[in-house]
Amino acid sequence: MEKAIQKEAPSLAYAIDIGMIDLKNAEFYMTTGGFTGLKYSGQDYNRITLRRAFPIGNPMEYISVADKDNKEIGMIRSLSDLSEKQYSIVLTELEKRYYSPTVYEVKSVKDKLGYVYMELLIGRDDSKYKKNCALKDVSKNIRMLDDDRLIITDVDGNRYIIQSLSGLDKKSFKRLEPYLF
Amino acid sequence: MSHKHEFHYDLDLAMQPAKGTVSFDQTGQIISFIGDKILLTLCAGDITEMSVIGGVGCGLLFAKMNDESEILLCRFTFSAMKAAGEFCKVINFYIQTKQYVTPEEKEQPVCEKCGRPLIEGMSVCLFCYNKISVLKRALDLLRPFAGKILPAELFLATSSIIYLLVPLFSRLLIDEYLRPMKGTSTQVFLLAGAMFLARALGELIYIFSSRVFNEASIQYANHLRNLAYEKIQKLSMSSLSKRTPGDLIRRVMEDTGNVRNFISDGGRWAVEQMIIFVVVLIILLFTNFELTLLVFIPVPVVSIALSRFWRFIHIRYERQWRKNSKCQSILHDIIKGIRTVKAFGKEDMEIQKFSKATRELAQVSSDNEAIWARLFPLMLFFTGIGEFLVLYYGGQKILNNTLSLGVLVQFSMYITYIYAPLRWLVSFPRWLADAMTSMVKIFEILDEEPDIISLPNPKNVPLSGKVSFEGVSFGYKSYEPVLKGIDLDIQPGEMIGIVGRSGAGKSTIINLIMRLYDPTQGTISINGVDLKEMSPEYLHENIGIVFQDTFLFAGSLYENIAYGKPEATATEVIAAAKAANAHDFIMQTADGYNTIIGENGHSISGGERQRLAIARAIIKNPSILILDEATSSLDVETESIIQDSLNRIVQGRTTIAIAHRLSTLRSADRLIVLDQGKIAEVGTHTELLKEKGIYYRLVMAQRKTSKIAEVS
Repeated sequence: MEKAIQKEAPSLAYAIDIGMIDLKNAEFYMTTGGFTGLKYSGQDYNRITLRRAFPIGNPMEYISVADKDNKEIGMIRSLSDLSEKQYSIVLTELEKRYYSPTVYEVKSVKDKLGYVYMELLIGRDDSKYKKNCALKDVSKNIRMLDDDRLIITDVDGNRYIIQSLSGLDKKSFKRLEPYLF
Repeated sequence: MSHKHEFHYDLDLAMQPAKGTVSFDQTGQIISFIGDKILLTLCAGDITEMSVIGGVGCGLLFAKMNDESEILLCRFTFSAMKAAGEFCKVINFYIQTKQYVTPEEKEQPVCEKCGRPLIEGMSVCLFCYNKISVLKRALDLLRPFAGKILPAELFLATSSIIYLLVPLFSRLLIDEYLRPMKGTSTQVFLLAGAMFLARALGELIYIFSSRVFNEASIQYANHLRNLAYEKIQKLSMSSLSKRTPGDLIRRVMEDTGNVRNFISDGGRWAVEQMIIFVVVLIILLFTNFELTLLVFIPVPVVSIALSRFWRFIHIRYERQWRKNSKCQSILHDIIKGIRTVKAFGKEDMEIQKFSKATRELAQVSSDNEAIWARLFPLMLFFTGIGEFLVLYYGGQKILNNTLSLGVLVQFSMYITYIYAPLRWLVSFPRWLADAMTSMVKIFEILDEEPDIISLPNPKNVPLSGKVSFEGVSFGYKSYEPVLKGIDLDIQPGEMIGIVGRSGAGKSTIINLIMRLYDPTQGTISINGVDLKEMSPEYLHENIGIVFQDTFLFAGSLYENIAYGKPEATATEVIAAAKAANAHDFIMQTADGYNTIIGENGHSISGGERQRLAIARAIIKNPSILILDEATSSLDVETESIIQDSLNRIVQGRTTIAIAHRLSTLRSADRLIVLDQGKIAEVGTHTELLKEKGIYYRLVMAQRKTSKIAEVS
């Protein structure tokens, strides 16, 4: 039997260069104006934007670094590849771009003429405070991220995350339950 | 009133909650402070531009300084995003013109009662919205139909009262004729006949009143639907783009339908039950005060139980509704994209996805049915408690000869009438709330103030095609400018090509010329008249536009071409089709110009569709012709056929064309190159190639791509 000539297609990662940043030649720093900058390949980018490729599923890997004109300079494969100091600068910048305070308690939920008003106890790190927010179209704006995590987006576009639905107190869960599906 | 502009931000630089302010006064000083602590002071004279950057759930405000450095002023959550954009606009206006705009009294509207910020686009706080006022407004709109509704209500009341005579007849029959055994068979027959007649008459009147009610409610819903649809047609693109097409369709169809159902069922029922309740109560009180009290003893318990029951069951049914809606949406998505599913061989994956959703729906539905089956008999038992009490106490009284059997029978019958309204009373608030939600959604559309305002006395001067942009800036979101300080003069009959990368603002220029949006700064004028002073209808009559994605309406080819000028003669339609090179293919079809095309013109090819679009645009003989990527989706051969027709049509008209394929614009009198919202280069094709700037790079990049295409 004639042997079929088989040519294996090259893997996509080989064919397309996704432009990983060579971290040995990269230095992230804080600018005097309050932004994060990057010195890389002989260039000084004095305001960079960091974006997570997988903000929900894998927030610490595949970070896109873009210049002030939003042109991608390259990607960071994993934050763990950075030195301690560089890691801290990059993570701080990312946390300033992605602001989704944690919901600790759902104080009240009221259905008002097609909108849902919520009073939430939210916070980040150690500070907790109450926030009133209105939601439109709850079926889209209360979304399960996985089996236990939930994101709430209000009419202004603010996002609040419930890190563990099963960890919520009973009353909060009961208030929220009708809107979960 | 403060003479400073103030922007209130809610996060400190470390992203912790804070109450900070950035102020800007007429001396040009910009100060950022939290409490008494001043964090930063800048002078507007040292700044070239103030900008906002949006992150995810938050944003920041920063200044681009004259020495090209950038300084961060503050951070904030998305709640402050719009205000930040407005604040930027004021400062940038000052930087460009040195004119200080006096601050308006209130920048962010909040509810006067609860202090919550109002939802964008709404003038009322839904949290504090007065339900009575919604109802009153709905009733006001109902007024033209009062001539039908009031007599129908009257008939309904009459029918209810006639029904209520039946227990009275029963009592009479038992106490006067049967129990003392004094009655004759004729008397019994007459009473039974009277009961029968009362029932029959009641039913007849009820049927009649139902018909009138339904008719009035259909007319009312129709009226509301037309009002909402008319308003949608008149709203500007910026208002419409805030909502999805599905949302608008739901408001026009579903919400008006809900209001109709409420009036024809809920409203009618409410009146009927209220009449019954009051009349029965009066009859019972006059018949036997003690027994009436007994009827009412379980009322609080029954009401609380019913109310809990409905709340409990409502939550569960809402979840079932959502699961059902999820199934529908999966189904809709998959059926719509079935070609892609098949092409990727993902049928099994989609089957699993759908079965998971239907499994969940089945589970919730079955749980709900089980709960209903368990709880409903219990509820019926509860509502029957009063009856047991009356029977027991009344039976005792009969045995003691202090009450007649007829009275007891009458009471038993009336108890049902009393408890029915009670069941209704606890479920009615939910019913009313649903109807009011729909009403508010309709009113929200009706109340929306169009942001493209047509002046009462518009200056509709003849348009020769001179278009001028003076310092035009615009952003779809106030904090994200798409066009910045555009100055441009287009001469009558000139052909202008607009080029630039995606997102450079090309289509935005077209949207502004069409006045689908108004610029946030600067003016656009045609023949020296500001677009804002012209009526949008007149402007649109004089501008012909061909989009990349042409939408053809279900109807004949003739109707689609004549869409821009319904009064066009057959000669004009054929002339337009010939000019657009569409005539030949139309004549190939069996029904010629009468060929019916399906929704969105599925039965014709992309090239044919574009030719129809061109015919539709030029039938009005517009002085300004806009081609927004009119030939981008076509192959080179089809494009050249269409280009021929376009070359003929553009003669003597001001033409503004956008095209990714730069070769299409080679013959333009001038090319405008946009980059990041600004005009970067202006000139002819040859001039710009010599300049070796952005245009040159774009052309080279395209040549490289087409060479690759040729090789492959």
